[in-house]
Amino acid sequence: MIKAIKASKSEKVLFIFLVVLAIFTFSSFYILKNKCLFVEKVNLDKINFPNPENVVVMNIECGDVIIELFPDISPQSVKRFKILIENKKYDGSAFYKVVEKTFVQAGDIEFGNIDNLDYSKIGSGKSGLGILKSEISDEFNFIAGSVGLARSTKFDTEDSEFFITLKEIPIYQGEYTPIGKVIYGLDILSKIKIGNKGIYVLRPDYINTLRILRSN
Amino acid sequence: MKILFLIIIFFQITHVNADEIYNLLKIPNLEVYKFKNDNNIRYLNSKKNFKIGVNDNISCNKSYPKNLSNKFPIIQKNINFYNSTFLNKINLRYIVLCEDLFVSKINTGGIPDTEKRTLILDINFNVKYFERMIHHEIFHMIQKSNTEIFDESRFSSFNDVNFKYAECSTCSDRLNLDLYNDTNGFLTEYSKSIASEDMAEIFSFLMTDKINIEALIKKDKILEKKVTFIKSGILKIDKNIL
Repeated sequence: MIKAIKASKSEKVLFIFLVVLAIFTFSSFYILKNKCLFVEKVNLDKINFPNPENVVVMNIECGDVIIELFPDISPQSVKRFKILIENKKYDGSAFYKVVEKTFVQAGDIEFGNIDNLDYSKIGSGKSGLGILKSEISDEFNFIAGSVGLARSTKFDTEDSEFFITLKEIPIYQGEYTPIGKVIYGLDILSKIKIGNKGIYVLRPDYINTLRILRSN
Repeated sequence: MKILFLIIIFFQITHVNADEIYNLLKIPNLEVYKFKNDNNIRYLNSKKNFKIGVNDNISCNKSYPKNLSNKFPIIQKNINFYNSTFLNKINLRYIVLCEDLFVSKINTGGIPDTEKRTLILDINFNVKYFERMIHHEIFHMIQKSNTEIFDESRFSSFNDVNFKYAECSTCSDRLNLDLYNDTNGFLTEYSKSIASEDMAEIFSFLMTDKINIEALIKKDKILEKKVTFIKSGILKIDKNIL
């Protein structure tokens, strides 16, 4: 007959400690791995947008980012942006240039798509629709969530690339064409993968889809 | 595949302190020093040493607060001679302030870049020539933005037929910046280096010592033609500068 051995008090404490430790370890690992865990999701059905034809929904890994466009400030640039969205050119576009807590940039259609990333040429890709004249507004302040068209060092070289500021950047005033602002999802953008050391991101996050909320 | 690997390694190794100013001007380690100014110039300060250009051939060190606070009023006073419309025309928006500016190991007072609308200034440049140097570098931006007005071959034709400029500004030993007593067509030794430096020297003296230059040209016909050429060129761009 096998005699049951009763666990001592210290053994019970040790067992409970190990169980708690295991739970803590697994939950921490899950929380740390899942960067989107505490991101607030937006329910589009509950929001009434007065001009849905100028509202776009950018779906990325952590959720939907809602952007209101400014056709009154930058008509040609917004028109270009909407054409590219309608043609689904931004789907799969990588956030290849990201500065932590500062800005994220995507939209290189030719060399910056997740299916065809070319780091030797990224940032120089063309949309095929030609370059645009800069639509600079000296009155427009680039606050957190402002969306602007990127350009080369010269003005009037905008095409498809765009950036979104994650903080106020006064020095961009009068430098870049503003095309809109983020109305929901700024915290989602702050979860986008940053570069380890430089401005460019290896194995970057990307845009799943970018759609106009409702076309005319 | 090997190339892709090398590119990835390159991005990992060559890191710069990337920020919003670097993204705009491609100069690392800068911070805003003074943002709002009447002529819309934005002053930036080097908070750490930086290297830029082909093979990092341009280098400049961080500026120390005490030195910067001493030199800034002088810089601002001289930049304020130019209005925002004029500065727009010559593509100047940013002044970068740093110490001990070198291009290919040669010390220089300033580096103008019309494409990025930036002028890098060495706040440690020789005090004797400091203010004039600012206008000298600005002239290079004026000329770059108005090459037809400040045509070098036309300007060179004012010189004595036997005179020849050097191939480039740093390929000669004509570097002295002191004003000649006997001008003989040139204000300084550096004026004899190349035509654009000759023009820039004249403009810088007109901005800082106009009365003296007006007196000098009365006894120097070549210099008079050159000064008239510069003044009429500037007049085509803005009536209020000279």
